[in-house]
Amino acid sequence: MDKSIFAQMPSLTPTLGFASMIGLGLFLLVLSFGVKTLLVRNTHDFIIADRRVGFGFGVGSVIAVWTWAMAVMMSSAMTYKWGLSGLFWFVVPNGFAVIAMIPFARVLRKNMPEGYTISEFIQYRFQQSKVATGIVTITMVFGIILEILINLKGTSVVISTVFGIDWKTATVVGITCVMAYSYFGGLWTSVMTGTLNTLMVTVPAAIVVAAVYDKMPGGVQAVFDAVGNAGTQNLSVLRPDAAAGFGITLAFGLLAATVSDQTFWQKVWAIKSRDVGRTFLWAGALFYPIPICLGMLGLVGIATGLAPSDIGGDIAAIGPYVVSHIGLSLTLVILYVLVILAACYSTIDGASSALSSIVAVDVVRRYFPDTPESRLFAITKLSVLLGGIVATAIVLSGVDFTTLVLTTYALKTAILLPLVLAILWPKTNTIGFVGGIVCAILIGMPIYETVGELVGTLSIVAIGGIVVFTAGMIGTESFNISDLRNISDEVKPAVGAE
Amino acid sequence: MYSLIIVLGLAAAAVFLTGFGRGFRNAIVEYRNNVPEPTDVPDFNYVGVAAISVVASGVVIALAGVNPMLIYLGPLLALCTAAGIGIAFFVEKPVV
Repeated sequence: MDKSIFAQMPSLTPTLGFASMIGLGLFLLVLSFGVKTLLVRNTHDFIIADRRVGFGFGVGSVIAVWTWAMAVMMSSAMTYKWGLSGLFWFVVPNGFAVIAMIPFARVLRKNMPEGYTISEFIQYRFQQSKVATGIVTITMVFGIILEILINLKGTSVVISTVFGIDWKTATVVGITCVMAYSYFGGLWTSVMTGTLNTLMVTVPAAIVVAAVYDKMPGGVQAVFDAVGNAGTQNLSVLRPDAAAGFGITLAFGLLAATVSDQTFWQKVWAIKSRDVGRTFLWAGALFYPIPICLGMLGLVGIATGLAPSDIGGDIAAIGPYVVSHIGLSLTLVILYVLVILAACYSTIDGASSALSSIVAVDVVRRYFPDTPESRLFAITKLSVLLGGIVATAIVLSGVDFTTLVLTTYALKTAILLPLVLAILWPKTNTIGFVGGIVCAILIGMPIYETVGELVGTLSIVAIGGIVVFTAGMIGTESFNISDLRNISDEVKPAVGAE
Repeated sequence: MYSLIIVLGLAAAAVFLTGFGRGFRNAIVEYRNNVPEPTDVPDFNYVGVAAISVVASGVVIALAGVNPMLIYLGPLLALCTAAGIGIAFFVEKPVV
């Protein structure tokens, strides 16, 4: 078995690529029109779905926003690079990161039932501290921009690679499709279209992966034997270098990615209170098979001896390359592309919806409290487009966004333990919270840069936690979290006021 | 196995879409009825199931390195995800 079985498919034309992107977008646009007409009257409905998101949509939408386009490809890439150990370390912390939200989600949903954003919680938790809320708000915004940017970039690369479309054109067309339907309906649209997209990343993905193995000479046995022959460690989940090389760092990064992400917190306050806990449990558990399924494409790359240079230099392309070059029918290749597009669209619209909640609550309501509902609604809807516009500009500029990635990573990881302690530990105080984040960045990031990712990540997390704990033990304050129940809904119009 | 996954995939999609339709209807009915939602957050023992799912994910991956046929566990479980989301719509109790 070798890479001579791969060949370019001539029928993957730009027209097909545009049809895929626009076709999926149009379908979701029709759905979003229906959602807007039937379920959205005001800003409250737009940013929090009137807190009526049920269990089914909750599970589907949480899975949808967590299944990034890059995750779809990176599961294959990590398997290709590290064997099954790579898939293990990519997958296991991923689902756990969603499940780990449960205790924090339950505490805040119970004690702050009328909340909208995590920055809002920090505002009331730390006596309206502008520094604390500012840091958290900025972190949330950076995280959202990065979420959109990474998914947009990854998808445009795949579309341009598979269909020969200029990557800038693919970027603009893709983001236009998502923004067009995201604008209508807000969170309800995001929840419903996202849930539909999970059908795309499950059933077609399973069929395509099975088809790939069916196409391989000698089938799954031959792939299995070739992977083992290429290296005995490829079939083991116990490679220590995979854990040290990326696994542990990724695990902390993923935890920070959920707990420090408004995209998830928005869901916490939108899902019906009695379903919050089990939603994140089911979502985390049901998420697992998606990257496990797609990760099996990485084994085909190992078995056939593909080198990174064969696939354009970026190992993230291993999945798209295998699917589009192994001789599958055009239908199956298009299905795989739709898997990636579905993952991309659902993550971007979820992030855009989260951004609109931040704009409505943390910017307009906080700094311009007298804004009438009609203007607030208009601004909130327009803000859905903001993240997409900024992310597109960054992608199209061609600048290396490594700095943005590192900055966001630093902020999110630095915020992780202080935020967890702010929710769970009454003695966490403002000085500790702010000091913990600042020290984690100022001390931890240089360690990250000079010593390495693993030690750096552990340092950032530890420093943040130690400072918060120390300040809390020295201080005398103790916060009663049930005081947050007195906070009234900041956005929902009074009855008759619409 | 490929044919089996197609058949099971269609079945999973049917469960999913049936559930999605139910969820969509429930959402509209609840919205129109405008009955206030309960605000309680019931006690919920999730640690056991959470631990099992985390461990199971690792075991499934490890098993792919033991027997080649177990490589198909990933795609088969992905179909369970689709069906599971559909089932979630039937588990929820609308407030009407």
